[in-house]
Amino acid sequence: MNGVAKQLWWLTGFSAAMMAAGLVWAGFETRLLQDALVWIKPFKFALSFVVFFATLAWAAGRLSPLVASRRGLRWLVVILTAAFWFEMIYITAQAAQGLGSHYNTGDLYHGVMYGLMGVGAVSLVLGTAVIGWAVLRDTGAVLHPDLRFGVGVGFILSTGLTLVTAATLSAMPSHFVGMPPAGAATIPFLGWSAAVGDLRPAHFIALHAMQAIPLLAWLVAGTARARAWIIGGSVAYSALTMALDAQALMGLPLLRL
Amino acid sequence: MSADDLFGLASAAVLPGWLILILAPRGRWVWLDRIPALILPFSLSALYTGLILAHFSAAEGGGFGSIAQVRALFASDYGLLAGWVHYLAFDLLIGAMMAGQMDKMGLSRLSQAPLLGLIFLFGPLGLFLIWAAQGSLRAFGKGGAA
Repeated sequence: MNGVAKQLWWLTGFSAAMMAAGLVWAGFETRLLQDALVWIKPFKFALSFVVFFATLAWAAGRLSPLVASRRGLRWLVVILTAAFWFEMIYITAQAAQGLGSHYNTGDLYHGVMYGLMGVGAVSLVLGTAVIGWAVLRDTGAVLHPDLRFGVGVGFILSTGLTLVTAATLSAMPSHFVGMPPAGAATIPFLGWSAAVGDLRPAHFIALHAMQAIPLLAWLVAGTARARAWIIGGSVAYSALTMALDAQALMGLPLLRL
Repeated sequence: MSADDLFGLASAAVLPGWLILILAPRGRWVWLDRIPALILPFSLSALYTGLILAHFSAAEGGGFGSIAQVRALFASDYGLLAGWVHYLAFDLLIGAMMAGQMDKMGLSRLSQAPLLGLIFLFGPLGLFLIWAAQGSLRAFGKGGAA
C-alpha cells in the first residue's frame, strides 16, 4: 500500500474510533442542544469522515506508485490530516461542553474557531478534487479506464457542488431557513428538519457525489456509452443538488412529516 | 517540601517529557528517547513510592472497596498528591509506549500529536482511540494499515 493511502486509511480508522467514542458517550449523556443529544453531532461527523476517508483511501490506493509518491500528494495528506483532527476535536470538545461549534460566534475565540473550521472544511473538500484529478490523469492507475474517469469526475464534481452548498450554508445565520417550532418533526437519525427549510440535505447530496458517480461508473464500465452515462449522470446529479438547495432556500423541508 | 511544592515540581517535570514525545525526533538519540520512556516515569514512581509509604495509613477510613473509601484516601493533600503523581507517571509511560507502537504501525507524526496530547490530558481516552482505530482497520481488512 502506498504511503498516501496508508495515512488516509488511518484517518478512516480514527474516524471509526470517534464513532465508537460517541457510542460509549451516548450511554452517559443527557444534555440537549437544539433538541438533539450533544453526542449526536460528533457521531454524525465521525460517520461522515469514515465514508469520506475510506473513499479517498480506496482511490489513492489505486494510484500508480510514481503518482502516489509525488510531493504534492504527500503534502495534501498532511493538510487533510491536520484538517481532520482540528474539525473532529473542536466539534467534540464543544459538544462535550454542551456548546455549538458551527455558527457559534458568541465571542472572539468561538468566532475565530468557526472561521478556522471553514478553512479546514474547504481544505478537505479541495483535497477531494486534487485526488480526483490525480486519478483522472494517472493512466497507470489500477482501475478500469471508465471507472477511473468516473472517480475523477465524481471527486471533482463533489468538490464543486460541496463548495456551492457549503457557501450557501455559511452565508446564512443557521442551517435552517425559517424557525422550526420546538419539538418539530425531523427526519430520523439525519436530524434534518421536516417542518422548515434545511440546507443540510443539499450539502449531504453534494458531498456524496464522490461515491454516487464512481458507483454509476462501476455499473456502466465497459459498455459502449459508459462516458456518456457518467457525464449525463453527473449533470442530473448536479441538477438534483441545486434543486434541493433551492427548495431549502425557499423554506421548504425535504419531506414534510 | 510542602505538598503544593511537590505538586508543582511533579507537574512541571512531565512537560518536557510530553514535548519530547510530541515534537522531538525519535530513534536518533537514545538518551532523548529515554527521558519520557524511562527517566521521568522512574523519577515519578520514586516520588510516589515515598509519598504512599509515608501517607497511606494516615487516611482515616481509606480503602479500595467503595467510592467513600477512595475519597477518604484522597482526603489529605499528600494522598491527593500521590494520586496525581500516579496519573502523571503512568500517563507519560503509556504515552511513550504508544508513541513507539504508532511509529511501528507507520502512523504519521502529525496524527500522533493530537493522540499523544489526548493521552496527556485524558489518558485512557487517547488509548481508546488508538486501539479502536487499529481494531476498525483490521475489521476493514486493512490490518492496522501495515
